[in-house]
Amino acid sequence: MTAVFLDGIVLGLQFGLLGVGLTLVYGLGGILNLAHGSMAVVGAIVVANSMAAGASVLLAVAAGLLAVGALGLLLDGTLMRAVYRLHGESRVLLSLLLTLGVAFVIDGLLVWRYPIGGLGIHIGGDPIEILGVRMRTGSLLASAISIGAGAILVAFFRLSTAGRAVRSVIQDEIGARLCGINPAAVRSLIFGLSGMLAALVAITRSMTAPITTTAGIDFTILALIVTVVGGLGSVAGAFLAGIILGIVNTVSSFYIGTYITTIMLLAAAGLTILLRPSGLLGRRA
Amino acid sequence: MLEVEDLSAGYLGDDVVHDITFSVADKAAVTIIGSNGAGKTTLFRAVCGLLPKTAGRVMLDGVDISGLSAHRIARAGLAYVPSGRHLFPQMTVSENLALGAFPKRPDPETMAVVLELFPRLAERKSQPAGTMSGGEQQMLAVGRALISKPKVLVLDEPTTGLAPKLAADAYAALAILQAQGLTLLIAEQQVPLALSLADYGYVLENGRVQLEGSAEELENDPEVRRAYLGIA
Repeated sequence: MTAVFLDGIVLGLQFGLLGVGLTLVYGLGGILNLAHGSMAVVGAIVVANSMAAGASVLLAVAAGLLAVGALGLLLDGTLMRAVYRLHGESRVLLSLLLTLGVAFVIDGLLVWRYPIGGLGIHIGGDPIEILGVRMRTGSLLASAISIGAGAILVAFFRLSTAGRAVRSVIQDEIGARLCGINPAAVRSLIFGLSGMLAALVAITRSMTAPITTTAGIDFTILALIVTVVGGLGSVAGAFLAGIILGIVNTVSSFYIGTYITTIMLLAAAGLTILLRPSGLLGRRA
Repeated sequence: MLEVEDLSAGYLGDDVVHDITFSVADKAAVTIIGSNGAGKTTLFRAVCGLLPKTAGRVMLDGVDISGLSAHRIARAGLAYVPSGRHLFPQMTVSENLALGAFPKRPDPETMAVVLELFPRLAERKSQPAGTMSGGEQQMLAVGRALISKPKVLVLDEPTTGLAPKLAADAYAALAILQAQGLTLLIAEQQVPLALSLADYGYVLENGRVQLEGSAEELENDPEVRRAYLGIA
C-alpha cells in the first residue's frame, strides 16, 4: 500500500511538471499548446541519441533540455507571433490549430526518423530500500529529479523577481506593463521553460519505462487533464492536481488494472468540471 | 520634465483627443481637469504608451519617449497609476510593492518612505491585494508606482470610488509627495481638490484643451466656476 502511494506521489510530481508548463503558457497568452507532449518526446529522443553517441547522462540530459527550450523559443518567435496578434476566442482557436499542426509535424518526423519501438535511458545499480519499499536506481533518480525540479519551480515563482513578474502578467497584464515588465519577453521565457519541463518529464519517464516516439499525444492529454483539474494559470493547482491524479493513477492500476487508468483520470477531470468548473485552484470566473 | 506636443490618439482609427500640448515642469504639480468622457484617460494612456499615438511627441526629461512601449516608458521614469489601479489581486501587498521596482529588487530606503506615507500598507503587508478596500488599494497603487523612484508620477482620477474623507486623505498624501519634490500630473473630476494641490492646470473638453492657467486663474475663471466648481 505504501509503495502504491509513494509511486503515485512520484508519478503525480511528474504529472504536475507536465501540466505546469501548459497551464502557464495558457495563463500568460491564451495559447493551449497541443504540441506540448510532442516537444517532450523530442527531449527524450535527443537524450537517448546523445547517450548512444557516447555522451554522459548529465551532458545528454542537458542537451535534451536545451534542445527543447530552444524549440519552444523558436515556436514562440515564429508561429506564435501570428497568434499573439489576435485576441479572445480567435486567439485560442488559432493556437489550437497551429500547435496541433506542430504536433503532427513533430510526431511525423519522429516516426520517420526513429521507427523502432521504445527509447529507454538505462541507469544501472541495484535496488535500494526506502520506507520498506525496494526501488530501482532509475526510479529513485527520476523521483529525486521530479521533487527537485518542483521545489526549484515553486521557489522561483514565490521568491524571485522574475518569477513574480511571470505571475504578475497572468494576474494583470496592464499592471505588469506599468511596472516595467515586458509581457512578450515573459511569454517567450515561459514557452521555453514549459518545453524544458515537459522534456524533463519525458526524460525521467524513460528512466523507468521505455517511451515510444508516438507518446507525444499521451503526454499532451495528461497535461490537459492536469490543467483542467488544477485550474488554468495556477502553478500550485497544477502540482496539487498532479499529485491527486498520480495517486488515482497508481491506485486504480494496482487494484483494478492498467486498462482502467486513463478512464479514471478522465473521470477525475469530468468530476472536477462538474463540481469546480474553474479547477481546484483556478480563479472563479 | 514632461512635455507633450500636439498629441492625438484614439481607438479604432477615431481620434478621441486632438492636438494636445501641455508641459509639467520639474517638481511641479499639474492637473488636467474635465468631465467624464472629456478624454483624460485616453490622453494619459497615450502618454504612458498603453495606447498608440496617431500624432505628436512626448518628451520625458529631455528624452523622446513617443515611440516606446509601456514597459519601456515605465522604466524610463514615468509611473502611471490608472484609475482602475491594475494591482495583482492574488499577490500580497509586499509582493505588489516589490514589483514596482522591477527589474531591480526594491530599495529598502524607498520602501521605508512609502510605508511611512501609507502606514496602512505596513499593517497589511502579507494580505492579498484583491481583498483590501478601495482606499487601501489606491494607496497600494500609488505606493507601487513610488517604489520605482519615478521622475514623474501620473495619476488618473486617484479619488475614483473613494468616500470624501478618503479622497481628502489621498490628496493629503499627494501634498506630502509634492513637498518632497516629486513631479506630479493628475487627471481629476473633483476640481476643487485638484486645484487645491496643483500649481497649474489644463481644462480638457471634447478631447481638446479649452483653457489653461495657474490654479488661481482657473479658480477665478467664470467658466470653470460655473461648470466645475458649481458656483454661479
